Amino acid sequence: MRRILLGAALAALLVPASAAAHATLRDATPREQSRVEAPPSEIVLRYDQAVTATADSIVVLGADGRRHSGTVTQAEGNTVIRAPLHGLVRGEAYTVRWHEISADGHVGNGVFTFGVGVDAPPPTEAVGSSGQTWRDDVARWVLFVSLALVIGVVGIRLLVLPRPVDPRVERRIHLLGTFGAVLAVNAGLVGFVIRCANALQVSGVDLLYSDLSPFAESTRFGIAFLLTTLGYGICLTILAIAWALDLPALRWPAFLLAIALAWGYALSSHQATEPNASLLGEVADWVHLVTAMLWAGGVLTLAIVVWPLAPHMRRAAFLRFSRIAIGLVGILVLAGTVVAIERLPELDDLWDTSYGQTLLVKVGLVFLALSWGGMHHLVVRPRLERGERVHAVRWSLLAESSVAVAVLLAAAVLVNGAPPPVETPAQTAVPATAR
Amino acid sequence: MLPRAEIAHWLFAAGFLFFGLVVLAEAIVGPEVFRRRRWRAYLWPSLALTAGIWLWLIAIFSTFSTLHLLAHSLWAQAATAAGAVQLAVIRDRLHSSYWSLVTAGALLVSGSAFLVHEQNGWLFARSAFLHHLIGWTLVISAIFPLGAALLPRRAVWAYGFAITWIAVAVMLFADRDIAPIFGHLSDLAGGGSR
Repeated sequence: MRRILLGAALAALLVPASAAAHATLRDATPREQSRVEAPPSEIVLRYDQAVTATADSIVVLGADGRRHSGTVTQAEGNTVIRAPLHGLVRGEAYTVRWHEISADGHVGNGVFTFGVGVDAPPPTEAVGSSGQTWRDDVARWVLFVSLALVIGVVGIRLLVLPRPVDPRVERRIHLLGTFGAVLAVNAGLVGFVIRCANALQVSGVDLLYSDLSPFAESTRFGIAFLLTTLGYGICLTILAIAWALDLPALRWPAFLLAIALAWGYALSSHQATEPNASLLGEVADWVHLVTAMLWAGGVLTLAIVVWPLAPHMRRAAFLRFSRIAIGLVGILVLAGTVVAIERLPELDDLWDTSYGQTLLVKVGLVFLALSWGGMHHLVVRPRLERGERVHAVRWSLLAESSVAVAVLLAAAVLVNGAPPPVETPAQTAVPATAR
Repeated sequence: MLPRAEIAHWLFAAGFLFFGLVVLAEAIVGPEVFRRRRWRAYLWPSLALTAGIWLWLIAIFSTFSTLHLLAHSLWAQAATAAGAVQLAVIRDRLHSSYWSLVTAGALLVSGSAFLVHEQNGWLFARSAFLHHLIGWTLVISAIFPLGAALLPRRAVWAYGFAITWIAVAVMLFADRDIAPIFGHLSDLAGGGSR
């Protein structure tokens, strides 16, 4: 009976939501993120239910911040709001900021752009948007830590630790990997909402009723968010099944999926939208991320799983990890160098720009972590190979893990930051008349 | 590209009805008889885990409001966790009857999220009425896993849950985006449809 109750209750959690709880923007003219060839004379927003609008429920702004919209009127049973437009010119992009009061009393809101004779810029570049803040950095950092748990801890279990292992080790690895997947999916969600909020310029309860679809459908980070959220949801399910059925081999597909999904984070980084972005750079970024996660997760696994729970496995696990760590670090440094060269074409960008300075801090932390790892390799490893007892290794591994987590923070700031601008060929070309 | 909201509702309603009938069958004949075919025991966790993945899919297409995105992701995680726990119970990895308390808490959270996510009044439209009803049904039904944790030998909890589940399926089948309820439809709801 208990199982019956449990199963029924679990299934009850699956009830989906409906679209009727709040007025939703059905469509707009001009459409969201669209390009129109002639300047429109009015803007029309259609909702799925009646709304209350104020005189400035629609504000259309030019790139210079000048307002181009007039007083808002309502029509069609208050399900449509419209505003006349004036002064729009071909060759310019415009930002639309809208809000309405739904029947439930909440203020629905959104932002999108459209271009007249030009492509619409992404909504993150809407007029009035703020850049990324420390909140974005923290969300990205938590995301990286969660990847270190999913990719690193699970990966080290599959690649380094022998089979079978102590049940307590297996249990803790299951716990850390599953926790990492839960954290990854939630950090991704929060990071997405925070980034949207920067452009929407709303917070608190109003943010709960914001329309995020323009961000999800027409930005690289939005598309990456959709893919990674679904992907890590599946990853979480696979890890949960592996735990419940006690099938460690089932972690392979979850591990490989997590590695593939890391591509989404390379895709959604700030650099990916720069003019000098290349496929090589994205691949290098992805390889850099995956190797960093394997390395950080590996050290963490030794420190918080193997050392406290399985003293008999310490020597074998340390030696095996030490062997693959050399390769990981080599690939990590090589891929990082490729990424750095692409992002900072000029050497003096390293100290002249905030991006370069952050990179220097990160390189310093990486150097510290690698030195620590080198000490383990050169001092601890030989003693373990000789079968000698080595004290305080766990604390040393924990310290190295802490430095790795600090590296991830610096990496999060870097990924969210804008590298120095790169001159495109069009900008550097000398006009014919000047020759 | 996206199916209409009621299509997703009916899809889930069909799954819930199947689930409710399975639960009811087990309650009537007893677990010993019901599980003579071993695969039957795996129906519930399989449904929960599958529904979790479907809910992730719905979540990422619910970006028309932050609230919907967060609510769907919450339900998806709850379903996944619930399915995994049930699977572990069947595989004897978890033994205590107190694991039902997790379910009771999850039901409370899910029901509350349902009520928060429906901001309109009961008689705003049919969907609003049914959302309130489903939300309160889920909240109140938390008493069944709570009872199963504290008094696991009593069969009433199993019957209660089975009926709850079938009722939720019926509510979802009757759910519409905008339609009158008991002759009422708020002027603010716009024109009735479907």
